[in-house]
Amino acid sequence: MTNTYIESFPAEAKVVRAAFYSSFLALAIGGLFGIIQTLHRTGYYRFMDSADYYTVLTAHGVLLAITFTIFFLVGVFTWATTTSLDRPVEDIRFTWAWYGLMVVGTVLTAIPIFAGFTDSEMSASVLFTFYAPLQGHPLFYFGLVLFVVGTWLAGVDWFRSWWAWKQEHPDKRIPLPTFMVLTTTLMWYIATLGVAAAILLFLLPWSLGLVESVNPLLTRTLFWFFGHPVVYFWLMPAYMMWYVMLPKISGGKLFSDPLARVVFVLFLILSVPTGIHHQYLDPGIAEGFKFIAMTNTMFLLLPSLLTAFTVVASMEHGARQRGGTGYLGWLKALPWRDPVFAGMALAGLMFAAAGFSGMINAGMNINYLVHNTFWVVGHFHLTVGTAVALTFMAVTYWFLPQVTGKALWNRSVALGQVVLWFVGMTFMSNAMHRGGLLGIPRRTAEPQYDGFEFEAAVGSVGELDAQIALGGALLTLSLVLFFANVVGTALNSRSDDLPANEYADTLSGPSDAPLVLDNLKLWTAIAIVLVIFAYSFPLLSIIERGGLFGPELTELPVHIGLGLEYLWATTISTVTTASETVVALGAEVNW
Amino acid sequence: MRISKGALLIVIAFIAPLIVELRTVLAWVNVELTVLESVVLGIGLIGVILVWALWPQSQSNGTESAETK
Repeated sequence: MTNTYIESFPAEAKVVRAAFYSSFLALAIGGLFGIIQTLHRTGYYRFMDSADYYTVLTAHGVLLAITFTIFFLVGVFTWATTTSLDRPVEDIRFTWAWYGLMVVGTVLTAIPIFAGFTDSEMSASVLFTFYAPLQGHPLFYFGLVLFVVGTWLAGVDWFRSWWAWKQEHPDKRIPLPTFMVLTTTLMWYIATLGVAAAILLFLLPWSLGLVESVNPLLTRTLFWFFGHPVVYFWLMPAYMMWYVMLPKISGGKLFSDPLARVVFVLFLILSVPTGIHHQYLDPGIAEGFKFIAMTNTMFLLLPSLLTAFTVVASMEHGARQRGGTGYLGWLKALPWRDPVFAGMALAGLMFAAAGFSGMINAGMNINYLVHNTFWVVGHFHLTVGTAVALTFMAVTYWFLPQVTGKALWNRSVALGQVVLWFVGMTFMSNAMHRGGLLGIPRRTAEPQYDGFEFEAAVGSVGELDAQIALGGALLTLSLVLFFANVVGTALNSRSDDLPANEYADTLSGPSDAPLVLDNLKLWTAIAIVLVIFAYSFPLLSIIERGGLFGPELTELPVHIGLGLEYLWATTISTVTTASETVVALGAEVNW
Repeated sequence: MRISKGALLIVIAFIAPLIVELRTVLAWVNVELTVLESVVLGIGLIGVILVWALWPQSQSNGTESAETK
């Protein structure tokens, strides 16, 4: 053995491995649902009723955006703290406890979602965002709560490790990977307060029948209080991999430890007070509040651009260490045959494209063009679907040998897998973006309308559908190759010839970083103040206008019959209100 | 070979976004490619890249550069 993770931390390696396998199971099921909905929506192969599309979409969203990503990142964060602090967790039973809680939460959430495929009364086809008045079974909300509490306890575990380490090393700087874990966890604690309030105070009591109604705008706003920063909860572990793994695999060192710390501090401060940019078209939130959210969002470009600079500089340093020369000639010297490197580099490149489409989403006026269209789906398949997912799959090829003690089954298959993901996502997300520009809506099984056809500026909608189906098929094939490697590696015998458990050294180290960067209390306080500035007035205004529990609202359990009933009731109510308003206005004018 | 096999694979993969986006870009200057024309163009580009990559870098000494090994 050559000092692998499993050799240094055998007990922790088991938890990390369990977290990874849980993540991969979610990826497998979520990915299967991905190709099913792709083929259904594009009309190439339909074997289910369109009403079931929303159950498939809910499972796809929850399993991939929540379960796959978060199980993987808790594994990475546990690896990062134990490795960089060079100490085991304080109590391995506590570590298993939070992992177990996350598993129980996932199972409880999944039960009502999957029950949606049956004739059972239980269902939770409420999509990833679970907007009221869509109402899921209480078990769905309860499971989500347990899952989030599991992640909170995981955070406590990482903080306990750091506090114990700090007692023994009072004058040392926080090692960079641990610093990244702690800032991300603090951001997560603040962000999840929103979804915890939405579920515990409103949605869960409502689904249990304890309160009669909720204020949909309030629960939506609380969801997006969490819903945007959750993107950074996925992205920051991917960033961590780009900072601490990519430079080493490139053959060099991280360009700047201080810049990396600045980036993570900026994410801690700026991730949460931006959520309202998902609600630019929500009535009931003043334009001024939306403008503040847009401004905050644009500031978030800064850490991403800093990351692009630092990571590319580190890669160039690595390439030059390997003999690369010239302005661009050094690119040839990078280890493109290594699937870990190639996957992360391609993921980073796709993230640049995602950044550009994200700027469109973030701009208040231009967002109106693409809001709720297929464009948004194309965007997040580049962010979470590629920058995060492809990075996680690529680093799996490094982590699996570390946590199993077994050599990777097949490196060539791994390289083919990451490249196939890049090509498949290129086809799929490009067509989704272009479809969105035509106004094709998202979240519908039937994007076809009688008497109306979307007209493409280039090609045709049929060609866009073909491109999406082709991309989806390539992505599915890529997943099959990924799982072949995971299973093949698990079945391999133990190897004595594995790389050591190390991460990148730095060109400019922590001693070059101002001490204030490690002042987590200060950054957390600033983050909280910014959240108060960004959210207190919008929330007060929403509550003042619509009440804490909203106007009387007919809940909408996700059954088609009841849906039509709700639509009818809402239409009658709207027409009545409108006619009353017209009569009142008429009376006023006459007067 | 002028570049490693891994780098060649990545360069070929980059043809996908290039061809997909090129169709839109060319439409701005009133050059409208069909899907078939785009596919043919893509295959042609891949062929050119393969010829460039597989062509010996220096015929005088007939040796490979270190980075391609």
